Amino acid sequence: MTTEHNEDYDLLVVGAGPAGLGAALEAAARGLKVAVVDEQHAPGGQIFRQPPGSFKQPEGGAKLAYPFGRELLRRARADTRIAWHYGTMAWGVFRDPQQECLRLGVSKNDAGAMLNGRALLVATGAYDLPVAFPGWTLPGVMSAGGVQTLLKSQFLRPGSRFVLAGSHPLLLLVADLLLTSGAEVAEVAFARPRPAIGELLRGWRAVPGHLGLMLQAARAAWNLKRHGVPLRFGSMIKAASGADAVDGATMVDVDRDWRPLPGTERHVEADTLVIGYGLLASTELARQAGCAVDYKPDEGGWIVRRDATMRSSVDGVWVAGEPGGVGGAELAHLEGRLAALDIARTLAAPGQRPGDDELDAVQRAIRKAHRFSDVVRDFFAPNMAALARLASGDTLVCRCEEVSAAEVRDFLDRNPHVSDVNSVKLACRTGMGMCQGRYCQHTTAQMLSEATGKPVDCLGHHTARAPVKPVSVISLAQLQDTLR
Amino acid sequence: MLKTLRIQPNGGDGLRPAPVTIFVNGAPTTAYPGETVATALLAAGSARFRTTARGAPRAPVCNMGVCFECAVTVDGRPGTRSCMTLVADGMRIERS
Repeated sequence: MTTEHNEDYDLLVVGAGPAGLGAALEAAARGLKVAVVDEQHAPGGQIFRQPPGSFKQPEGGAKLAYPFGRELLRRARADTRIAWHYGTMAWGVFRDPQQECLRLGVSKNDAGAMLNGRALLVATGAYDLPVAFPGWTLPGVMSAGGVQTLLKSQFLRPGSRFVLAGSHPLLLLVADLLLTSGAEVAEVAFARPRPAIGELLRGWRAVPGHLGLMLQAARAAWNLKRHGVPLRFGSMIKAASGADAVDGATMVDVDRDWRPLPGTERHVEADTLVIGYGLLASTELARQAGCAVDYKPDEGGWIVRRDATMRSSVDGVWVAGEPGGVGGAELAHLEGRLAALDIARTLAAPGQRPGDDELDAVQRAIRKAHRFSDVVRDFFAPNMAALARLASGDTLVCRCEEVSAAEVRDFLDRNPHVSDVNSVKLACRTGMGMCQGRYCQHTTAQMLSEATGKPVDCLGHHTARAPVKPVSVISLAQLQDTLR
Repeated sequence: MLKTLRIQPNGGDGLRPAPVTIFVNGAPTTAYPGETVATALLAAGSARFRTTARGAPRAPVCNMGVCFECAVTVDGRPGTRSCMTLVADGMRIERS
């Protein structure tokens, strides 16, 4: 890594999930010189995370919900044309006007480098929606994705008795995985009411092309039922209890608007509480690059604005997958391929440039994939306002800087003129810690919205600056001669 | 109380390679190449990965490098995300 200063690529891809891999392979097939950067140690992103190569694979290998996943990983592992940089963090995008290229700041352990590219694809995925409720900072409270990846890729079960609370279908798959691993699953609680027949019938629109995934979810639900695991609807997390670690969860029944029904609190004993209320798009790098964003809470919060070929508002920067709207692996993969085709229209050698018909075909497939993701979105959209109301007085809103809900609300009471989340950040220090607001921005925005009566999309978002994740000073010091 | 468990998905042994030894706050601890530091710590029964300025315990939440709650000191480097760091023989880990 240390010797890669001033390397030149046609396309730089950040993220090796379905979107990034789809783009990298498509672009390499068109003769483009491609580099891929990903923080994980192997391809696949979160959705296709695999056990390490040093582990023997269990019989039949890990099951993938998407049939194309296995082939995608095989092709990625085999492709030697592409420069793969795993265990590497991309922390900033810059423009070099002299060389007319984009420069991507990357860091691996204590080594830093700048990669030059004519085009950049941001395919940074999404992460579990953090929910601030009393006790959420206790060891033993984990995100659904966190538990799933420990089981899937590390064969580790992080507890023995589990309660799962949320509103995302991922919860069903995680509960099923836990049962298979021999865990005790005390209950799975969905905040939304049990789906009505009419909704289920409309859901069938989603089935063509997605039968495998629908069957997997149905199989998971059936397995839970067979094991006598209570699957509750209209029930939500209220608090986690425990001194040094979780020892239980308080659940509460809610109405259609996720408002708690008085007198319905129940305590459930558990050593691990799994939270899965949805996903937030990971847009920090895109925003740092200057890409315009729009607020769409059911698509992952602030998401990057794109045109019909995945171009962002910034020249030379394309965005594929969840940062442009959470829609699942299949949609992300297609968007990555579409972005690569669009990039190849100008950067590939004349004989290797794709025709309009090739782009049309991918765009048709994207419209089809939307039918599925839109149904999932409608069914399982998180109620952000209701979730933000869970934070009571001493509940920490910002885990890193240990700022409580009372401190934020008190500041808002005393400063009624404040109308943007950046001001809350500056005054209260929410979002100034290690995670840089990834875990608190959406909660403070909801609290600000409640205080001002203004919708969240009028309150702005944190300014994203380089480095978008903490990097060591040592790795930055090596960049003195190349970064101005 | 059994809190965490290294699972053998097929019920048999031998999915993991030969173990290595890491040192957690000086104590020798078994880990397997390919495991993350977070996995090795959880499997060793650590509920507390770090302690905040106000003295509160914290442990992994996201297991994908976003939350920074699993940060420990690895071979003298503080603030290292244990979920993103692979174990190595002789590695020295300090929890706070």
